[in-house]
Amino acid sequence: MNLMGLQGGQYRPLSPEQVETVHKASLKILEQTGVTYEQGLEGTVQMLADSGANVDTERKNITFPRKMISQQVAKAPEKVILCGQDPKNDLNLTEDRVHLGTGGAAIKILDPETSEVRATTLKDLYDVSRLVDKLDNIHFLVRPCIPTDIDEKDYDINMFYTCLSASSKHVMSGVNDEKGLHNVIEMASMIAGGEDKLKERPFISVITSFAISPLKLCTQSTLIMQEANRNRIPVALSSAPMAGSTSPLTMAGTLAQLHAEQLAGITICQLTNPGAPLLYGGIPGMANLNTMGYLGGAVECGMMNAAIHQLAHHIKVPNYNSSGLSDSKVPDVQAGYEKAFTALLASMGGSNYIHHSAGMLESMLTIAHEQYVIDDEIIGNCCKVLKGIDCDAEHLALEVIDSVGAGGNFMTAAHTMTHMRTEYYSGNGVTDRKSRDKWEKEGSLDTRKRALAIAKKLLAAPESSYISEETDKAIREKFNILI
Amino acid sequence: MTDFSEIKETLVNLDQQRLLQLVNDALAEGTPASDILNNGLIAGMDIVGEKMENGDMFIPEVLMAARAMGKGVEILKPLLGDEESATKGNVIIGTVKGDLHDIGKNLVAMMAESAGLTVHNLGVDIAPEEFVRQIKEKNANILCLSALLTTTMPMMKQTIDAVVESGLRDQVKIMVGGAPVTQAFADDIGADAFAPDAGSAAKSAKALVN
Repeated sequence: MNLMGLQGGQYRPLSPEQVETVHKASLKILEQTGVTYEQGLEGTVQMLADSGANVDTERKNITFPRKMISQQVAKAPEKVILCGQDPKNDLNLTEDRVHLGTGGAAIKILDPETSEVRATTLKDLYDVSRLVDKLDNIHFLVRPCIPTDIDEKDYDINMFYTCLSASSKHVMSGVNDEKGLHNVIEMASMIAGGEDKLKERPFISVITSFAISPLKLCTQSTLIMQEANRNRIPVALSSAPMAGSTSPLTMAGTLAQLHAEQLAGITICQLTNPGAPLLYGGIPGMANLNTMGYLGGAVECGMMNAAIHQLAHHIKVPNYNSSGLSDSKVPDVQAGYEKAFTALLASMGGSNYIHHSAGMLESMLTIAHEQYVIDDEIIGNCCKVLKGIDCDAEHLALEVIDSVGAGGNFMTAAHTMTHMRTEYYSGNGVTDRKSRDKWEKEGSLDTRKRALAIAKKLLAAPESSYISEETDKAIREKFNILI
Repeated sequence: MTDFSEIKETLVNLDQQRLLQLVNDALAEGTPASDILNNGLIAGMDIVGEKMENGDMFIPEVLMAARAMGKGVEILKPLLGDEESATKGNVIIGTVKGDLHDIGKNLVAMMAESAGLTVHNLGVDIAPEEFVRQIKEKNANILCLSALLTTTMPMMKQTIDAVVESGLRDQVKIMVGGAPVTQAFADDIGADAFAPDAGSAAKSAKALVN
């Protein structure tokens, strides 16, 4: 059962009036407080000034008239399709259509053999990408970990290559610089069979963390973002303030500031290349007030991420956000409830592209094979909720109720046979519903152990690359591929 | 005889106005400024640091305490002799090159200052050679390096290597920190200490030079 792209929107934490209130507050922030920038963005700042923004070069501050924002934001496409190498994995990001996938730049993994924490490698990235490719409920692949065993200058090309060879799902990642972006576009074009074909079916996209909250443009990422705009490669405009440290402590204040950052970012993109495909990238998070670290699993993260989709929807731009994280260090009960709560809230909120929702632990620092399997199950459940309850005549089943009659049973009715494999979410096998006797006989395995066994089995399948041998050879001649 | 417990308590309760009143009262009673500083304010901040480590105080509360303490020190400073106000720790702190994150690093700077150390906060995106130059110029004996990004962690090692090459390694103790940094990483790159949070960072910094 393909549960991709189902309509969410059943949960709307903000009322329509509140959405309007926050949106107006954000325009006020851009008009009054403005955004700041650093050296190296002179061209971008000039472009904004030429289009009506007020630039104070001494204070390095830009304020935006409301009209300018609404004019530019209106140019952003309402519909963005992110493709997979295999068209069955295409993602239609419009309205309240929901997709969930991996995320992050984890640097630690619970070793699948020893369960000990260790640094992630390029091989881990490859294994996890293969695993994600085989887990049906995970809709897309955001590069899940950093290959800490290779040189930083080889990151960009090797991360994209590894993901694209191991999975036919849509691949998204950040890049270190503009040169890295050019290399990645060139490699992806080789796989697509030409740059035009890549633009026609963009199976890669780029995360650009253009904003350093609060309200500051990051030079490097803004330049990468604009270069991606020029090349019509879809970008996710990531900005991730933490309530209490890099945004106001309150949820509404965090949303208002974040929405303002997004409006400014979208304006830059649309001035750079009108109609450039992009995802509103608001990721509201929370500071752990005990440490000032990032809190990922708090239920409020789910609430705010659901609200952020409403704000993106308000300006008719598809959104990228984050849910399904946990602050737990191992796949335990806490990981289960934090992930289920936040992923379900963001899904029911109608979020179009929810990353971070598979495989991660310790907020965004650690990944684990077994967690991908467990999260695949959580995502499957979330999507089932979105699917809702069919209530047509066939599903209402009056005929079979009448034919079975009072006092009978439905076990062998044709109606039961017809619907038994589709009406209920069947799962990937990790959920235990056996009798205690049987469960004990099979070794009393807990969720984590069952998940690890599934991951192991999936990865034991023969390896094959999604990149053809010929293209692979050409890529290896051109780039320093290390896997 | 001044009741230092009241000063400490007032600091922990974040009552800046009352704290400054108590500092002035103590001076009027003839209590030496250095006693008020060490037995009152710094001792109070030690309690704050402990409460922070235990999770009993939130970071914003710790910052308010540090701010109140700073105001108290302003009153005392003109009355302290050179020797008394000279601190044992002379800290250079900054976020390594390529990394623009500064919240955690600023927290450490503030806590270290509150713990009675002299702190030179260089800011973010600091190149190895700039760290070296500043160590020389400020004659520092503690170097604190911060990185939040997994991609900039290697720059910590490059910075330490630059300090070794400059011949200043024996002069400074080096402490590293930041969300992805671990004790094992600190050991690997040849740092002297790792601190998981701002409270323990200040404590370890003091311990390093005592």
